[in-house]
Amino acid sequence: MHRALPALAVSLTLGIGAPAFAAGGDGTLTIGISQFPATLHPSIEPSVAATYVSNMARRPLTTYDADWNLICMLCTELPTLENGGAVRETTPDGDEGIAVTYTIQPEATWGDGEPVTTDDVVFSWEVGRHPQSAFANIELYRQLYDITVIDDRTFTLHFDRVTYTYNAVNDLRALPEHLERPIFEQDPAAYRNRTLYVTEPTEPGLWFGPYHLVEVVSGARVVLEPNPTWYGEPPTFDRIVVRTVENTAALEANLLAGDIDMIAGELGLTIDQALAFEQRHGADFQVIYKPGLIYEHIDLNLDNPLLADRQIRQGLLYALDRQTLVDQLFEGRQPVASTSVSPLDWVHTDAVMQYAHDPAQAAALFDAAGFTELRGGVRHNAEGVPLAFELITTAGNRSRELVQQVLQAQWQAAGVDITIRNEPPRVLFGGTLSRREFSAMAMFAWSSSPENLPRTTLDSEHIPTAENNWSGQNYTGFVNAEMDDLIERAEIELDRTERERLWHAIQAIYAEELPALPLFFRANPFILPLWLEGLVPTGHQYSSSLYVETWRRAQ
Amino acid sequence: MTAAAILAAGQSPARLRLNRFLRHRAAVASGFLLAALVIAALLAPWIAEWRGTPPDAIDLLNRLAEPSWRHPLGTDELGRDLLIRILYGGRISLAVGLTAAVAAASIGTIIGVLAGYRGGVIDAILMRLTDFVIALPLLPLLIVLTALDLGKLPIPDGWLAGDPSGLWRIVVIIALVGWTTVARLVRGATLAVRQHEYMRAAMALGAGPMRTITRHVLPNVASPIVVATTLSIGQVILLESVLSFLGLGIQPPVASWGNMLTNAQELVWSAPRLAVVPGLAIFATVIACNFLGDGLQDALDPRALQDRR
Amino acid sequence: MGRFVTSRLIQAAIVLAAMSFAVYGLIGLMPGDPIDIMVAGNPQLTSEDAARLRAVYGLDQPLLDRYAAWLGAALSGDLGYSRVHGVPVVELLFPRLGNTLLLIGASLVLSIAIALPIGILAAVRPYSRIDNAVNLLCFAGISVPPFWLALLLIMLFSVALGWLPAGGVSSAGSESLIDRARHLVLPVLTLTLASVAGYTRYIRAAMLEQLRQDYVRTARAKGVERRTLLWRHALPNALIPLITVAGLDLGALFSGALITETMFGYLGMGKLIYDSILGNDYNLALVGLLFATITTLAGNFLADTAYSALDPRISYRRQRL
Repeated sequence: MHRALPALAVSLTLGIGAPAFAAGGDGTLTIGISQFPATLHPSIEPSVAATYVSNMARRPLTTYDADWNLICMLCTELPTLENGGAVRETTPDGDEGIAVTYTIQPEATWGDGEPVTTDDVVFSWEVGRHPQSAFANIELYRQLYDITVIDDRTFTLHFDRVTYTYNAVNDLRALPEHLERPIFEQDPAAYRNRTLYVTEPTEPGLWFGPYHLVEVVSGARVVLEPNPTWYGEPPTFDRIVVRTVENTAALEANLLAGDIDMIAGELGLTIDQALAFEQRHGADFQVIYKPGLIYEHIDLNLDNPLLADRQIRQGLLYALDRQTLVDQLFEGRQPVASTSVSPLDWVHTDAVMQYAHDPAQAAALFDAAGFTELRGGVRHNAEGVPLAFELITTAGNRSRELVQQVLQAQWQAAGVDITIRNEPPRVLFGGTLSRREFSAMAMFAWSSSPENLPRTTLDSEHIPTAENNWSGQNYTGFVNAEMDDLIERAEIELDRTERERLWHAIQAIYAEELPALPLFFRANPFILPLWLEGLVPTGHQYSSSLYVETWRRAQ
Repeated sequence: MTAAAILAAGQSPARLRLNRFLRHRAAVASGFLLAALVIAALLAPWIAEWRGTPPDAIDLLNRLAEPSWRHPLGTDELGRDLLIRILYGGRISLAVGLTAAVAAASIGTIIGVLAGYRGGVIDAILMRLTDFVIALPLLPLLIVLTALDLGKLPIPDGWLAGDPSGLWRIVVIIALVGWTTVARLVRGATLAVRQHEYMRAAMALGAGPMRTITRHVLPNVASPIVVATTLSIGQVILLESVLSFLGLGIQPPVASWGNMLTNAQELVWSAPRLAVVPGLAIFATVIACNFLGDGLQDALDPRALQDRR
Repeated sequence: MGRFVTSRLIQAAIVLAAMSFAVYGLIGLMPGDPIDIMVAGNPQLTSEDAARLRAVYGLDQPLLDRYAAWLGAALSGDLGYSRVHGVPVVELLFPRLGNTLLLIGASLVLSIAIALPIGILAAVRPYSRIDNAVNLLCFAGISVPPFWLALLLIMLFSVALGWLPAGGVSSAGSESLIDRARHLVLPVLTLTLASVAGYTRYIRAAMLEQLRQDYVRTARAKGVERRTLLWRHALPNALIPLITVAGLDLGALFSGALITETMFGYLGMGKLIYDSILGNDYNLALVGLLFATITTLAGNFLADTAYSALDPRISYRRQRL
């Protein structure tokens, strides 16, 4: 092994910029992220960090691109009803179903020389369907009831329902059948621990992307090098090192010290830290803020007798000056949300109730709800009940704690008393939210993909209760027959214009009823060296590293 | 030798101790500094009212302002007056430090005296308990304890409701694991006292255990207790800042020196002032506590006298 | 001696058994299981998904059953798999163990090497300028929270001067000793600065105590040279409390280097235990904490043994004070 050579390359890039790279190569790119990918299996508990890394070494069949359009990656052409790739059919049970046909890129080859074939997709589907596999999301595998193999590269998926995402199979990931099947068949329950992705992640046969993994130091770094079997545009960096530094202040120091070249936006600095960084070092780095699909909001427990009153919910939102908050704390980089749908999503509409800061309107609504008497700066109603709420968020998340204190102050000015009681994330998400044990308000974020129906969060069937084993994410307890109906209809509406209309109706109800108070969409700060070109933030869960082969060093 | 010195000087032991303490200039200065910090912290509400800058008064248009007449130390990342927050933070940090240290010392004293005075099986059990607690890995344990869902324990609801900032939870947890040093010191001292002639005499004369303990044992073990307590105040304040670093400390908007320092971390390049001020407050307090403990040790330990020339 | 060791081993076994149960129970008291947390972050997971995953990970069993199952397996030598990392606990633990022992060993040696001379110096001239300066520096060392110390060192040595790497255990692709050593410098320095103060204080106090003893006075009166007195007589005796404290520290450092490890991205036990507790990785947390306990007990035991070896006055039978 030529251990000395790569080390030399590292010190050169970090040093005073002697550009002595191998011919045609762009040297090493060292990326800093704040979380280590615990397991690199693409389908078992895929963490953001794991997805970020493995996206450089493998590709999904389909994905959403940086403009949030569905595109083919591993497949050759996106099948649609219009181009005949998708055909409506009747399932064996007599339901309406759909058959969608994909063809795998003809030159796609695993790192060990085996071609990527239909068998790899079928194997992945078999594992996902197996009751003892630990695949996180098996909704896909439930709906995908059969696969017809046409040839080595072509196959047809049969779904038992026709939804508008019928051709999005972003989560169906080809797995190297020739390597993994024996392991799986030996003991399906132990597969999650014995898969090569865990035991030997540097095995070339696991990867077919522009890079493959050459070194994994648990907790510290993953090193990737160009994959000789890659079929697409050749990548320009000779080596990519993804380093983990969990403390963000230390992460920033690593960047300044030259130990890392860039900080990924997907898992990097907090926005206020990035803003402060830009003020000092804006000339030496590119700082890109990409707002996306991370929706910061406050879930309201609608079983709370005060919050059950819509006037109070609306009053609470009118009392907030979210624009000033965003402008002052985040220099306006994070757009104020009017509903849970991002302004960058094509189904977004502004034609819903808007809540600009309006203390008079807030006061009028509180008065109408009976909270007229001001005692010690807090509104009380005729029975002497104060307009007081408890606000919970994740302890230790500095940005949220800052926002939370600003909200507390703004509500205080409107006569609303807020008590802050924060909990560590595992306590908040593990019990308080999922068992609906929060008394009034819980501030957190949802992250999603483009045009993602809010079924689990707004449908009345998804309210967690003891009877349904605390499943579902409708933590607010929102029950609205019209909303249930709209979600049901939108899911199976394939006509874009009609679906857009349904989406607009969903947003209108959301903004009027306010099951949750929308705050803003979080922006991810990407801190890149001036010489890096071609990196385009996506703003959703399908990370920028899916296009790593287009990253290059400016001449 | 010591007795002769006392007789010659014709001074009471208490007076002598005071003199010895006063000669330790660093300790005296530290005592004054700590007193000043405590008084300033106690006066915080009045100072805030006088200056018209309440600790939670957020002013988004005046974030990270430089020091001025209105804000002598400038403002923090939410436009709050840094001086006032330091004073309010002092209330919390000093309260945590003092109460946790005193509570731990009390537990330790009771266990130590009991073990040393009764001896036998009780001694063996208590000392094995002490070993067990010492063997506990402190930091991970603190993390588990702070993240515990106390709702699952049979504790009346009212107890938890009054503590949104998590102050008392931290104090109780630190006290529950911090008593071992004092217990060991006190047990040793109690054993030594028990061997003295006068103790045997008192016990032979039928003095009750409570009386013997309060009259004879406690005064003689006071010195290690006092010293250990002063030293641990500083440690507790540091521990609170570490818990804040891990997101398990005092919750906002209540200020503590620990959480102020933690919050300043990410702004250390753009607004170092936010870190320097609480950092200095912790630094000064811990140093002062240590010097004070040092001085008290000298004052309470008669042998130390000989070294001062 | 044999009896002493046996009784201590039995005690250690009891403490370990108690610890394993206490820790298992405590982690059980922490709310939420990993599946809840997974569900909370991903709106697409359904209730069936959650129930299925719970069954896969065995989380649907009652706490006591799980503990019994774990204990049975552990006693037969199977410490189980880490849920988060998907690898056997032992595989994850041993490299970390090595890193930690290297880190705390180096910092222990360095702190004592620094503390010994300056502690003695301070004790030989008590209340002099040197003594006061040493005191002040010591107190300064213990007055800075560790995460700040780490950040300041990174700012100075990595960012401003650029002499040392800001974190990690080694550079990518490099396995040279020099490279590892360079990565070790700042974490060791952080731990050392925080602990050297304590040792200095102990040495100073113990030396003062010894120099006051009658035998020293007698020897001095007899005309024994000052240097001989210091090195031959006072120092060996003064080392006893230092060894006790260092022994106790060994355990505390083992899991307590967490902050240093976090700041420098150093892969040690502290971080591993912390992550496993917060990530609800039962097996890993349990085994990690038990290792920490074993180290503490071993530290105590070593200290006691060294104690009695150095001080002929203490017999093995005598109880520790």
